[in-house]
Amino acid sequence: MPVVDIDPDELRRLTGTDKDDDELLDDLFALGLEFEGRTDDDAFELEFAPDRLDRLSVEGIARSLRYQYGQDRGVYVPNLNDPEWTIEVDATVPDERPYVTGAVIRGVNLDEEGLESLIQLQEKLHATMGRGRAKGAIGIHDLTMLKGERLTDDSGGSRIRYTGVDPDGDTFVPLDADAEMTPQQVLEEHPIGDKYASIVAEYDVMPAIYDELGLFSFPPVINGARTEVTTNSRELFVEMTGTDQWTIDHMLAIVCYALDARGATVEAVTVDYDDANAGEYAGTQLERPDLSVRTKTVTHDRIETMLGVDLDPEEVIDLAERAGLDAERVDTDDGLVYDVRVPPYRVDVLHPVDVIDDLGRAFGFNELTPRYPDVSTVGKRHERSRLEEAVRTTLVGMGFEDTLNFHMSNEANTFERMRLPIPVPGEFDRTDNTVEIADWRGAHAERSVSEDVVGVAVPPTIKEPYSEEYTILRTWALPSLLMVLERNTHRTYPQDLAEIGLVAGVDPTENTGVAEWRSVAGVLARHDASYEDARGRLQALTQAFGVDLATPATEHPSFIDGRAADVVIDGTVAGVVGEFHPAVLVEHDLEVPVVGFELELSALR
Amino acid sequence: MELPETQLAVLEAASATEARTIDRLAADTGYEPEAVTGAAFGLEEAGLLDIEADTEIELVVSDEGDRYRHEGLPEVRLYQAATAAEADPVPISEAIGAAGLDGPEVDIALANFARKGYGEIDEGAITVEPDADPAADPEAAALDAIATGDATPAEEVRNRLVERGLVERIEHTRRRVQVTDEGVTALMSGIEAESAVGQVTPELLTSSEWQDAEFAEYNVEAAADQTPPGRVHVLRAIAERVKEVLVGMGFQEMQGPHVDADFWINDCLFMPQDHPARTHWDRFAMSVPTAIDSLPEDLLKRVERAHREGVGEDGDGYHSPWDEDFARALALRGHTTSLSTRYLSGEAIGEIDPPARFFSVEKAYRNDTLDATHLLEFFQIEGWVMAEDLSVRDLMGTFEEFYAQFGIHDIEFKPHYNPYTEPSFELFGEHPETGEMIEIGNSGIFREEMLQPLGVDADVMAWGLALERLAMLLTGADDIRDLHGTLADIDFLRTAEVTY
Repeated sequence: MPVVDIDPDELRRLTGTDKDDDELLDDLFALGLEFEGRTDDDAFELEFAPDRLDRLSVEGIARSLRYQYGQDRGVYVPNLNDPEWTIEVDATVPDERPYVTGAVIRGVNLDEEGLESLIQLQEKLHATMGRGRAKGAIGIHDLTMLKGERLTDDSGGSRIRYTGVDPDGDTFVPLDADAEMTPQQVLEEHPIGDKYASIVAEYDVMPAIYDELGLFSFPPVINGARTEVTTNSRELFVEMTGTDQWTIDHMLAIVCYALDARGATVEAVTVDYDDANAGEYAGTQLERPDLSVRTKTVTHDRIETMLGVDLDPEEVIDLAERAGLDAERVDTDDGLVYDVRVPPYRVDVLHPVDVIDDLGRAFGFNELTPRYPDVSTVGKRHERSRLEEAVRTTLVGMGFEDTLNFHMSNEANTFERMRLPIPVPGEFDRTDNTVEIADWRGAHAERSVSEDVVGVAVPPTIKEPYSEEYTILRTWALPSLLMVLERNTHRTYPQDLAEIGLVAGVDPTENTGVAEWRSVAGVLARHDASYEDARGRLQALTQAFGVDLATPATEHPSFIDGRAADVVIDGTVAGVVGEFHPAVLVEHDLEVPVVGFELELSALR
Repeated sequence: MELPETQLAVLEAASATEARTIDRLAADTGYEPEAVTGAAFGLEEAGLLDIEADTEIELVVSDEGDRYRHEGLPEVRLYQAATAAEADPVPISEAIGAAGLDGPEVDIALANFARKGYGEIDEGAITVEPDADPAADPEAAALDAIATGDATPAEEVRNRLVERGLVERIEHTRRRVQVTDEGVTALMSGIEAESAVGQVTPELLTSSEWQDAEFAEYNVEAAADQTPPGRVHVLRAIAERVKEVLVGMGFQEMQGPHVDADFWINDCLFMPQDHPARTHWDRFAMSVPTAIDSLPEDLLKRVERAHREGVGEDGDGYHSPWDEDFARALALRGHTTSLSTRYLSGEAIGEIDPPARFFSVEKAYRNDTLDATHLLEFFQIEGWVMAEDLSVRDLMGTFEEFYAQFGIHDIEFKPHYNPYTEPSFELFGEHPETGEMIEIGNSGIFREEMLQPLGVDADVMAWGLALERLAMLLTGADDIRDLHGTLADIDFLRTAEVTY
């Protein structure tokens, strides 16, 4: 969630209030801005959900407070002067980044706080809407340092050009540098260039902005030093480039509202797209910033049903104005509706329901009285969940301690430490109905095992694991129980542990490509544990669930030869039972014999 | 004085001048260590013996950790290889080759490289951060310190190493016993093995000897040896309790795949594809297998349209990219809301008519740091109510009722933002013991942009919270890792208070 640093004095000044810090923090909390602490400069660190991006600056937060205090009401739209400047977008602009927008700001008074706030707003917009500058990047320039080329149409206007340039095709002095560099050099040598190089890595030509004097900005990476904004700047040129016109236009609207709040005048800019532009506005002219107000139509009935209270139309209109919206009452054949006007900085309003949320917040959600809905339904658990519970109760009755292990594991724990080879997946073929194991690897790769051996399956594998411990979904549960035993060798024996949990294997016949099932596993670790103990528990379990058990001898590398058997339930192989091989015990630092069993939960149905 | 045979043997083998271990006494007396421990407790009860027990925690470098000590941490090796390389950025494959990384080490190197800020990885290339100083990597230094036993590194680094599996924590309990002054006196005045009847035997019963027998008096107040109890895992017990409450409130249980398409996990939830939570750092994307076979084509189109154009006459969509391949890509579900989307769409059990209530208490997965309050996999309680007209007041009433079952009252509803609900509320409740207000869930009314493509023509309100959070609240546990996973301490589970 975004965090902004806000100077409380600046906030008081822009809001026009003399409340103390604690009162301010209470009011901010009511807006959903949580106090996280203070910066070294004693500013508030405020955290909030990433919907109200207009609150990424002190100006925007002050605006919200003014609505909350009733000092402002309804929709406000800054005045927009006619354009003098044009951004000409020529045909060579990289196709991946075809869009640009801009505004001229005049008469801005940027003191230290103002400049800091503007820089913070720019950074936070980059991080949120701009998706790390990939989707939208902001460049703010000192207008007086720009020399516009004269427009050819005799209107007296000036122009700058958004164009594409070869990575080594031109030079400029970027911010925080003292020598001319090519865009390529910026990407390779400049610390900022380095940071954003990945965005333009696949571009054939680099995005570039020119005035008559030459290259002055290399979006989305860095501006030129020539047009750097300082506290002395009074006139600004704001440009934004990106992969989506709507996104950069709305980032621009938020910046224009913030500067307007500092008393600046906003002047429109013409964006003139070449016919060959890759974007959706090729061959057209746009006038920006777009500060147009959108309208959402909300029915009175929906407001009442959603908030669960009866409201007068006047009340609705009042709530809208307190939320910084305007609601106009319209009587239609379908009943009373409101045309609600939404200012351009409200990028979070997509649907009429977002307006209702605003009305609810203005009303005060905590003013509402909870009520239990008068809706009758029948509750029930699904069958697997009931079966799982019944099996767990039975196991616990036999003295098993129920455990809860992670479904994620790694290949060492699941295979190698159990003396199993690691299966290497073959071609993943949807038409083939078997899971193909192409090869074996790992310490036991030379061991030939049947693909029917319990635990042997191609494990569903995680692409970018955080830790070597968790790289796959486990294919069987007994390794998890042995790990719990391994962790607890200093605890009192006997340790009879059980788990009913998820195991999985790659299976092309499944829609997801993964077969998932619940497995019932139990181990008995005690100084005199023998195969019979495991067989006995298993017998009692199967008897309790009324299924037939047979245990024909089998070979399984995790168990001692001659002390392992398939668990055959009603004629179908459903698992394995046996005494663990000493090599497996030693691998897990165990000094007592361990026997165990594992079977599919569904076999007990 | 008379004592049972084992006790007498132990007392005689023990020393008054030096504390001896149970193992030593077991060797000296020929009894099992368990029997010696039992006898020692009996003697302690009688005041003849002192027992001291201490628990030592030993940090041991794991095989993996040991390997890294000699070869260097994978991310450090990656950094060195990338720094030494000519190109900048360096293609990943080249840096990996030069660093000699192989198998899982590659992913470990990449994940930790980024975490430690050694540079950036993007589009298959590595850019090193020139200011980073892997030569002074604190994790590497701590690993050495633990291996050589030279120093104890800071707890944070220690924990990190444990999380990474490079260091293991091993706990030992050692008991030592020593004869008390009273014991010495008793020994000097002579002790005999008991002649009175201890164990009642079949012979004793079938003969009539029992009629004349004198039964040895036992110390009935002394604590007895405890058989480890068979019991349900504490977290399972709480999950059961939650299920019971929800079934009682008319909720029906859902189930579904843990590995699922991002379509069901996120797209159907109206989460834009470029939402930060959908980036690779938070998500457990799958490399085997990679994509779902089929998705309902009509639904796919409707969801795409909602993302692009919004829903309703004056609705707006997201101005975000849409890629069908991303919708089909498989991941371990980041929340169990994927079950809700499968049920609401009719995919799971066919069309559901209002009114309906559904829930699940199932696992979700987050690619996040493992610490005292965060697990990579956790249980999520998920519930929703579908009815013709639902208001915010109905939502509040439902959740007040649910939490009241667990002794949590005076719920506060803090307006919040979720991409898939509006209005949305974070739920805060008073901790039953500390009285502090803590976050206990997230809730809201599903947006039209989510419901309309799913074909739902009614209101749906939903909420979710981590079961572990509720469990910590109810049990007072302060480290989630004690509760869940193979790091579990059996003793904690054996002694945890029963929840009902």
